[in-house]
Amino acid sequence: MTVWAPTDNGHADITSHDSYLDGVPHNTFARLRQDDPLHWTEYSQGKAFWSVTRHADILAMNAKPAIFSSAQGIRMEDQTYEEYLARRTFQETDAPEHMMTRMKVAKAFSGPVIAGFEDAIRQLCAEILEEALSVSEFDATKTIARQLPMRMLGRILGLPDEDLPWLVEKGDALIANTDPDFTTHVLDKMTTDEFRMMPFNSPAGAELYVYAKDLMARKAAAGENNGVLNMILQPGKDGSTITDEEFRNFFCLLVAAGNDTTRYSIAAGIQAMCHQPELLEQMRSDGSIWETAGDEIIRWATPAIYFRRTATEDVEMHGKTIRAGDKVIYWFASGNRDETAFETPFKVDLSRKPNRHLSFGQGGPHVCLGMWLARLEVKILFQELAKRLGSIEAAGPHKFLRSNFVGGIKELPVRVTRN
Amino acid sequence: MKVTWKNADGTSISAEVAPGVSLMEAAIANNVPHITGDCGGNLACATCHVFVDADWSEKIGPPEDMEDGMLDITAVERTQHSRLSCQIIASEDLDGLVLHMPA
Repeated sequence: MTVWAPTDNGHADITSHDSYLDGVPHNTFARLRQDDPLHWTEYSQGKAFWSVTRHADILAMNAKPAIFSSAQGIRMEDQTYEEYLARRTFQETDAPEHMMTRMKVAKAFSGPVIAGFEDAIRQLCAEILEEALSVSEFDATKTIARQLPMRMLGRILGLPDEDLPWLVEKGDALIANTDPDFTTHVLDKMTTDEFRMMPFNSPAGAELYVYAKDLMARKAAAGENNGVLNMILQPGKDGSTITDEEFRNFFCLLVAAGNDTTRYSIAAGIQAMCHQPELLEQMRSDGSIWETAGDEIIRWATPAIYFRRTATEDVEMHGKTIRAGDKVIYWFASGNRDETAFETPFKVDLSRKPNRHLSFGQGGPHVCLGMWLARLEVKILFQELAKRLGSIEAAGPHKFLRSNFVGGIKELPVRVTRN
Repeated sequence: MKVTWKNADGTSISAEVAPGVSLMEAAIANNVPHITGDCGGNLACATCHVFVDADWSEKIGPPEDMEDGMLDITAVERTQHSRLSCQIIASEDLDGLVLHMPA
């Protein structure tokens, strides 16, 4: 059984945001995996690029960051060097620069540090769910999925509660910058280049810069010296500290990436529960699934549909030549449905093991810094949800984001009964 | 070379590994639990942490700087025998190597 059947005709324009309005055009990716795994993809908004769609190819290429560089942009859109320099975060750097920054922030997001937040996450989940489940019909993205990552990020960064809704709004505007529901500056329809030097080509990036700077000043003035932000501001082993610019870029990245991706993992998991009723039963009765359930929900969701690299040398592959300077796109959403890597890839199997999904960009140095937090939030949210639910079903059609980059269900009407 | 991964529960997995392959890759190919190698051997994730058997510690040697930094964020706390197995490359002179898995 598949949870939902892709409806594209197998020849969708995978570069067009509109092709994702009914979810990822998986029939097209299935055809590419089968017939043309290194596909030269025309792109109406810029230079054409190579599409990599097989799980094994993505893993193999992602492990070679010297050949497939992140330092010339990681999105489909082309950037001038000037724009790149102004807008980049450490996601858009290579070794050794990438590692120097990553080492400064890695500890704060490491498994053991994140595990310390388990109780806080559980308490937040309980609060959010009690409120959401006080009615029998609601939009699960809005009242559940959108709430947890925002509040949790605020908690671990030590941000004032009253700032959180504003931060979520700005994070949405940054990342979902191709959906008119989330920004007035729709990226592919913009008539101005006024924001091209700002993070994500968005005015929200500039506002977050100012917020982050003020926040640092406020914390310094108050002598606050605990929490994740302070851990990041501590000097590393070599005595170096994070620069102001690195910090501000990193803060933008946290707000954007930290909000969106976990939200859409939760939404996709709830969608799956609506369509595969046995999932709720398994969650309620089989304690052993929690070792694997979170990762399967995150595989199913694949909130980051792709990331881009740029070839630094000529590479022969599948009888074709990737030229130095060519853009190469790793389609994680396709790799996560690859029949050769996953049995029944279109089914949610909460006990799937091993589960070598690519949702966190596994296999390369840019593997998601927040993966431990994401896994823990998703696991606990579904543990607490299953505990409280008698049943859950769709109460109407769900709606996907208009984005070729963020895979997300932005509206998810559900009907529930309490346990 | 032959390598043996010993699990905390007393079970173990042994395999022949071709020279030149990292022991992280070998662990994944042999479905060794707890080793996910999430960053593909690029020293960015610490998910291939092992404890080198005391008898082999001297031969394997200590971690270099970058690896040493990443060993600070392992899921199970590091010891003097800790290494990231993506940085240990199979070779014939390591035949018989024993690695202990974090719990």
